[in-house]
Amino acid sequence: MSSSSLLELRGISKTFASTTALSTMDLTIERGSFVSIVGPSGCGKSTLFNVLSGLIQPDGGSINLEGRDVIGATGHVGYMLQKDLLVPWRTVLGNITLGARLKGKVTAEDRDQAKGFAEKYGLGDFLNHYPSALSGGMRQRVALMRTLATNHQLLLLDEPFGALDAQTRFEMQQWLLQVWRDTQRTVLFITHDVDEAVFLSDRILVMSPRPGRVVDDLAVNLPRPRTLETLVSPAFTEIKSKVLHQLHHERAL
Amino acid sequence: MTKKKLLLNIFGPILSVVVLIGIWQAIVVWGNVAPYIAPKPWDAINAVTSNWSTLAPLTWWTIKETVYGYLVGALLGAFLGVVLNKIPLMQRVLYPLLILTQAIPIIALAPPLVMILGFGVMPKVVIVAWIVFFPVTVSVLDGLNHVDKDLMTLAKVFGANSLRRFVVLEMPAAVTQLFSGLKIGATYAVTGAIIGELAASSGSSLALYQRSASGSLDAAGVYGTTLIMTAIGIVWFLLVVGAEYIATPWQRRSTARQWRRGAKPVVTNN
Amino acid sequence: MKRNFLSLSVAGAVLALSSVTVLSAGSIASASTLTAVKFVYDFPGPDMEIIPVVVAQKEGFFKANGLNVSVEFPPSTSLTTQLLTTGSGDIGFITTSDMAVAVEAKAPVISVANYSMTNNWGLFAKPGSTLTLASLKGKKIFSWGDTWTNAMIPFVLKKAHLKASDITIVTGANDTPLLMNGTINFTTSTTNYAIPGITEATKSAPVGIVGAAAGVPNVPVWVYAVTHNYANQHGKNVRAFLKAIKAATIWASSHQTKAVADFMAAYPKSGYSKFYSTKGWALTVPLLTNSAGKYFVQTNKQWTTLATALKSVKLIKSVPAPSTYYTNKFLP
Repeated sequence: MSSSSLLELRGISKTFASTTALSTMDLTIERGSFVSIVGPSGCGKSTLFNVLSGLIQPDGGSINLEGRDVIGATGHVGYMLQKDLLVPWRTVLGNITLGARLKGKVTAEDRDQAKGFAEKYGLGDFLNHYPSALSGGMRQRVALMRTLATNHQLLLLDEPFGALDAQTRFEMQQWLLQVWRDTQRTVLFITHDVDEAVFLSDRILVMSPRPGRVVDDLAVNLPRPRTLETLVSPAFTEIKSKVLHQLHHERAL
Repeated sequence: MTKKKLLLNIFGPILSVVVLIGIWQAIVVWGNVAPYIAPKPWDAINAVTSNWSTLAPLTWWTIKETVYGYLVGALLGAFLGVVLNKIPLMQRVLYPLLILTQAIPIIALAPPLVMILGFGVMPKVVIVAWIVFFPVTVSVLDGLNHVDKDLMTLAKVFGANSLRRFVVLEMPAAVTQLFSGLKIGATYAVTGAIIGELAASSGSSLALYQRSASGSLDAAGVYGTTLIMTAIGIVWFLLVVGAEYIATPWQRRSTARQWRRGAKPVVTNN
Repeated sequence: MKRNFLSLSVAGAVLALSSVTVLSAGSIASASTLTAVKFVYDFPGPDMEIIPVVVAQKEGFFKANGLNVSVEFPPSTSLTTQLLTTGSGDIGFITTSDMAVAVEAKAPVISVANYSMTNNWGLFAKPGSTLTLASLKGKKIFSWGDTWTNAMIPFVLKKAHLKASDITIVTGANDTPLLMNGTINFTTSTTNYAIPGITEATKSAPVGIVGAAAGVPNVPVWVYAVTHNYANQHGKNVRAFLKAIKAATIWASSHQTKAVADFMAAYPKSGYSKFYSTKGWALTVPLLTNSAGKYFVQTNKQWTTLATALKSVKLIKSVPAPSTYYTNKFLP
């Protein structure tokens, strides 16, 4: 394992009944990188997340995260879904510290850290609010804070902005990049939105179904920080067209 | 809550009670209803106040039967709801049995209970609990069955064991539903106590006082005791609503109260 | 003061069935010539004391007197007088104590005939147990919670030189099982209900203290009653009813087996066995005539005695003229 790699998958596969959800996969993710996964439904991206998070056991292979074998174990990644899954009876602070509560008691440090996150990323005034008082974008911010507060290096984000309107989504994307840069985490990001994948990522994995596998691995060498200008640059369009091409090419088969 | 809404919340119910009493008065007066058939509202109230020294201890007994039975029923109901949710086999074995308990007419249940438990407070407590536990079980079960599956998955990914998932997520998630069961139970509880009193009582009871009043063609006494029974039911219901109000602040407030554990005052500077 | 509340659940079904039979019977006979009369019993379900009415229906005594009588049962005990005043019933079967409290409450009802002539109420216990007034202290005594029982118990206590707090009154829906398992020591009832019930359960006759021995006033227990309105406007019906009932009662006294069979056929789900109804009716028959062998006849003395007794135990406030309670003018 090279010193800069955070996660290494070797020979991971998963079959449900007679369907190969994930055919034998090798994958290395660099520490601090932002990697998007795109692909049609059934391409195995959710299975990959479930294996990584420990929810399901792969049929074979090894997963090495920060030097530890984590196959079948839970509690080692941050995880976030399209649904914010905030609990209505806990305040913003309570939701951010939910991970700590689920593993035991919420300590003063947990609370201070949560407050630090919230204040830094525009939620400082809402610490004491219940989620019902928040807008969709704010709720997703809280959900991401909760994911960060679990203090895991690897964050698995499964279409986190899929339910937001276009404008809010763009704000959230920029915000996510800021948070990612500040906190030096490693992000694996599932999306259907090719623009989003290109805009956010260092690297895009294109997956294809039957059997679920990675068919392309593209580097996104766009300069950071990324802005509105990035979205209309020729380099952006070029990468986007490559990804789209790969997706459509695959689908045409 | 706006001032207008507050006024409406207070005066709305009062107004509806006043209208109801007005209709009652109108029917009795204009319908020329004889006082031994139905009393005027004031006569019914007077039948309570002027006999309060007799009625107070009876009322107190009925309250005790109602409250004890309710608490036993609510605890048992919540426990059963959890058991049914957590042990799928139990849902098959026990659920039909629970429905069976509710199909038995309470009237038929009362005499054998008296045979076994005597004339004291016990058979009434059992009858009230018997009535109350079911809606509580159903609502708790419903609440637990509808906890967001993704939320439970998330908690698993976060490394939470099943006990923590239950305490931190499932229990509070079921609370809203729990209260709908508790409220239904609260309206039925006093009925159970009265059925128990009718089935058998040692000494006197509110139900027997009413039966005697009925036998003496004392309609004011009959309606008066009915008012007491109704009042017990309403007050208990309101107490449960009050408990819900306190226990589920997120349903009506946008922020938590500052005295809540750990939430130091947040200074807003804008 | 009597009977089995468990039979209540079937009373509704019985009621529905009986009204269907009555309706169909009425339509066979030329309905236009028969006058409809609604008879209201004193208890939510039927038992053997209703035999005169059932026999009059089944053996044609009502029809012979131009009546088509249907039977109604009140939803609860002690509601019969109210049902009469609201017009839900025409002729009612009530206890004399019900009559007294009705007059006290200014309900416009009047008794038109005695059903029974003597007070056969008392305390009863399991066969073989000791039941004397001296043994009452500290005991659990069952009551049906009705006006009659409430009126009688103070007389028992007075005769036994006891205070109300010396005994425990237990009220409930059925006495016999409680008596059998010892949950209560004594029950209160009348001979014609208690003796068949306890005999059926134990195979031998209960012990009892009845009437004067129990310290209670010697007054009739049950009467037929109507409202003043009905008496004034439909006196003909009342007279015809009593005439039919008298004939039916005489017939039912001399044909007891057939009379009970009529009752069992009319109310197969009454909850009472043939044994109970046969024994109960046999014990009821001697109660129906006075010392002169006459049916129905009421006296000033019986009503004054009752009213005075009820006043002494504070169930009524004043003793009105006996004529307030009754009239003999409709007697056949």
